[in-house]
Parts: sequence; C-alpha cells; structure tokens
Amino acid sequence: MSAKEMDETLAEFFRRTILKIPMTEMMTILKTWNFLSENQLQTVNFRQRKESIVQDLVLLCEENHASLNDAAHLDIIYTQFHRHQKIWDVFQMSKAPGDDIDLFDMEQFKSSFKKILQRALKNVTVSFRDAEENSVWIRIAWGTQYKKPNQYKPAYVVYYSQTPYAFTSSSRLKSNLPLLGQALTVASKHHQIVKMDLRSRYLDSLKAIVFKQYNQSFETHNCTTSLQEGSLGLDINMDSRIIHENKVEKERVQRVTQEIFGDYPQPRLEFAQYKLETKFKSDLNGGILAEREEPLRCLVKFSSPHLLEALKSLAPAGIADAPLSPLLTCIPNKGKNYFKIRDK
Amino acid sequence: MELANTLRQDGESRGGVLAHLERLETQVSKSRKKLEEPQNAQALEARIHELKRLRDKLRAEVKQRQARVKASTANVEPDQILEISEQEILERKQENMKAILQAYRFTGISGKLTSRGVCVCISTAFEGNLLDSYFVDLVMEKPLWIHHHSVPVFIPLEEISAKYLQTNTRHFLFVLWEYLNAYSGRKYQADRLQSDFAAFLVGPLQRNSLCNLLSFTYKVKPEGQSFPFCARLLYKDLTTTLPTDVTVTSQGTEALPSTWEEQRAAHENLFFTKPLHQVKGNIALSAPMTKVMGFQKNLSRLSGQGPFHLTRTTDKQVFRVKSTASRF
Repeated sequence: MSAKEMDETLAEFFRRTILKIPMTEMMTILKTWNFLSENQLQTVNFRQRKESIVQDLVLLCEENHASLNDAAHLDIIYTQFHRHQKIWDVFQMSKAPGDDIDLFDMEQFKSSFKKILQRALKNVTVSFRDAEENSVWIRIAWGTQYKKPNQYKPAYVVYYSQTPYAFTSSSRLKSNLPLLGQALTVASKHHQIVKMDLRSRYLDSLKAIVFKQYNQSFETHNCTTSLQEGSLGLDINMDSRIIHENKVEKERVQRVTQEIFGDYPQPRLEFAQYKLETKFKSDLNGGILAEREEPLRCLVKFSSPHLLEALKSLAPAGIADAPLSPLLTCIPNKGKNYFKIRDK
Repeated sequence: MELANTLRQDGESRGGVLAHLERLETQVSKSRKKLEEPQNAQALEARIHELKRLRDKLRAEVKQRQARVKASTANVEPDQILEISEQEILERKQENMKAILQAYRFTGISGKLTSRGVCVCISTAFEGNLLDSYFVDLVMEKPLWIHHHSVPVFIPLEEISAKYLQTNTRHFLFVLWEYLNAYSGRKYQADRLQSDFAAFLVGPLQRNSLCNLLSFTYKVKPEGQSFPFCARLLYKDLTTTLPTDVTVTSQGTEALPSTWEEQRAAHENLFFTKPLHQVKGNIALSAPMTKVMGFQKNLSRLSGQGPFHLTRTTDKQVFRVKSTASRF
C-alpha cells in the first residue's frame, strides 16, 4: 500500500515534535496520543539511534495519513508533560452584572473561539484537547494575512469551564494578545478580561493560588482533614541538659510564622518583583537624596527556586524579623507577584 | 590573788601555796565523788523511769494511729471506688458528646470553634448517599471574613457572601449549602449515568464544571437500534437537582415513526421528573414494550390478518396472543 505523501513541512513538523520527546517518555506520550496503534508501535525498533526511531515513527504517521490537527494534538500532549518549560500568565474575566446563569457548553465554546480567531486572521491553527476537571487546553499557531501559521511558536491557553480565569503561555507575538483575549471573553460569555499581575512557570501553583486551593487544612470534630503539626524542625525538648537561649522568642517566631504561612505546602513561584516609585526616606537629616522632590524609581526582585517556602523559612532561620512585611506575605492571598508601590 | 594573800600572811603558810593547792585538789576530788554517787543512782533511776514512761506512751500512740489508719482505709476504699466510676461516667459522657458533635455532619451544616472563629462544614447528600463535604473557615471579626475554604471556584461564593455574609450569616450558610448540595446531587447523577449506563450511551457524556448542562446520545436498548435519541438537559436553577429545560431529539433526519415519537415525548417527561440515573432505569425497563410493538406490527404484516391484541402477564414476561381473525 502506498502512503499518500505527506506535505514536507508537515513531515518536518512531526519530526521535530517527536524528536523533542525524551526517550524515557516516548512510549507514554505516544500512548497518550493514541494515534499510532499498538501493532504499529511494536514494529519500531526502539533500540536504534534516536534519529532512526523518529524517522520510523514519522513514516508510520504518514501511513496513517496524519494531519496537521494530529500533529497539533501531539504538541499539546508534549506541552502538558513539560508545562514547566513555559512561563504562564493569568487572565481574569468578569461578567456584566445581571448576566444569566452560565450554561457552559464546551462544544459551543470551542467552535465560537475558533470562529472568532479565524474571522480575524485568515491564517491561524486552533486545536483543542479536553483535560481534567472540565478544562480545555487550546493551542494556537499564529499566522498573518499573507503568511502561514508558524507552528514552532504556538501559544497555549488553559481554561477551566465556568471559572473567570484563563492561563496563557507567554507568547513572544504580543500583538495577538488582544485578539486572544477577545476570543476567550466572547466564547466563554464574559464581558471583560484583565491581565493579572501573576506569572510563574508552575501552572499548577498558579491554579492553586487563583482558585484558592492552596490551604486545605480545616479543623473538624471528625479529624479527617489534614492538620499537620508544624514544628519547622525546632525540637526544643531534645535533651533536658541543654537549655535553649531565647526559647521564648523562638516559640513566638514559630507561632507567628505558622499563623501567616499555615501548615500546608506553599504554592511554587520563582520570583516577586516590586517596582518602587517612592520618595526617598532617610533617618539622617540632609543628604543629597533626601531633598529630592521627585520619587525614586527602583526595582526590587526576589528570586528563588521556591520563593514562598524560602520566605517562610526566613524568620525561623533568624535572617528576618517575624512577622515579615505584608508586601511579602500577601502574595498568594492577593494573587500577585508583581507590585507597584507608590507614595500614598 | 589568793597567792598574793597567802604570801602576805606569811608565817604558818610558807609552804602555804603548795599545801593550799593540795587542799584544793582533795576538795575537788571529794566533791566529785559526792556529786557522782548519789546523783548517779538517783538520777539514773529517775531517768529510767522517765524513759520508760515515754516509751509506753509512744507505743500506745503508735497502736492508736495504726488502728485509726486501718479504720480510715477501710472507710476510704468504697469512696475511691465511687470516684473511679464517676470518672468513667464523665469519660463516657465526653465520648458521647464527641460522637454527637461528629454526627452533626448529617444535618448538612455543622461547625467547630477555632481560635479565631469557626470552621463550618457543609455536608452534601443525594437520595440518602452521603457525598462530599466542603469547609469555610470564618474569622469572627467586624467585618466577618473568610480565611480560607474548600468551595470549588465555579460556585459563586463571592456573590453569595457579598449578599449575606455580613447581614445574615445564617442565611449565607443556608444559601451556600443549597448551591453545594444541588451541585453535588447533579454531579452524582452525571457520574452514575456515565458509569452505570455506559452501555446505553453512544459517545461521551458532555458536561461542564457545574454539571448544569448535560448533553448525550443514548439508545433504548444496548444492542443495536435504529433510532438513538439525543438528550440535552439544562439546569438553570443552580439550587435544584432536576433540569429546568429538556430536549430529546432523534438523531436521524427522517421523521420518527409514531411509536418512537411517543417514546421520545415520554422520555422528555421522565427527564424532567426523575433523577437522571433513575430515568435510564425506567427506559431500560420499557424496552420490552418496544419489542412488543415491533412484534405486533410484524405479525400483522406477515399474516395479512389483524389487528392482533397482545396482553401481558403481570411479570411482563409472557404474552398471550389473541386474534380477532378466524384463522387462529
């Protein structure tokens, strides 16, 4: 049987997409994709050099008459497995007051979203993949009036139905952002969309923050929910021959930290950024900067592999006073890690 | 001094100093002897008497005390037994209280006092099945505020708290319970439909987060059938578990034969009035009816006679055929 020859650019796109997949994940991802059958996968010798494996797989895709849509699906699955490779922004939508109950129809949403983009941009590839908790992953490859869509720089949107939040992977093609926002708003029957000052690689942490799911320990009579005893590694009753200096202060710090940060694992963020536009304040009278009328502009950025856990450990480690500044501790509560601070 | 005096008196007392000393010495030893002997005997005797008397007195006291202790322990024991059983009673009462507090869950809205306010537990149920519980941790300050909660993001918690939390907290909890309980019930029905009646479904069940729009295609019999129905259920009232809008349509483009049309209308009605998984149950039961109708039609067609009347026995398993025609 002769396979219909696949478009060269499409074949190349398949090749590059499959090549990206680490060998340790190859079988899992291919099975999730569910486009190549068990039998077909068994015909491939997975002990070859990766280049050869990929070549074999692309041939199989050609045999199955794989389309651009199938390739887009594979790309979505790869991104779902490697979501930390993208930086995600969060958008918040709002309804007009007095709007009807949201009777969200996923199929209607998808068709509406696609139509809006296709009407505005002749060249655009839109693909969908349903995910857990009634959510959908959307992949958009942008083109222009005259150029075909660039499949190598797609934007991703993750939307949980009947919520006001959408998560988008920051795309370098910023010019399409308003259109994307409009499509999301109209398709999900909202009125307005606003970009939140929240950004991170960790999509699940962003979701935990805006859905307010990060603190799930509750006091009940049934004692079935998690109530871990937080001790922050401070074993004061270790040995009665050892007397801890500042025991009272240490306990106070631990108590205050526990009140603010709780006993739960903190959502994961990599940085917090503070843009200051404030007048210079100094204890010393005089000095060059003290007489300055205009506000100083400066940027303070805190970075960490796990910012909130790091902040939580500052006071117990003795590096900072407890309680910490509310500017630092309000991050998950306010759903912000970008701040602009001006003089009141 | 004395030495000086004896020296002044001279004459007879020339060896006077030494003789004086001798005299003093004998005096001392005499007086010592005097002191010792009678005092020894008398004093010792007196002392002995005294000690004996003391000993007897103490012995008597010890005996008295022992007797008293024995008597008092004998008295105390029954008291202590009473104390123990009181403690047991209290412990049992405490456990009882704890169990009652735990059982409050079944009322739907229960809570536990916390250091800053109260943690409310909203328990949901549907048709006697206990479903998920949701929590709202309230801080008792003016104004009242929610510290954290486990209410899903698609439930309009902000709206409900904006309306009622400050002015009528009780009503706030009740309204929240209504929303959560109805959501749980709808979710339960949809889950049951997907799991228990998978054989009747053609394709996936389409649903959304609130489970207030359900769309699915189904067959009346699991094995092959010509007219699958498409059902679309809308629940516009988020506090109810039964749909507000139901449309059942046939998938094909041709007009439905009349029996199927009847069925279609009947199903629509069922969806309105019964929980989803019970509707499916009812539809499954009504399958033999369609067989009967088909059988009836076939009989007429084949024999050229008719009409036939079919009656069912009560267990709906046996059909008796009665014909008006003379041939049978």
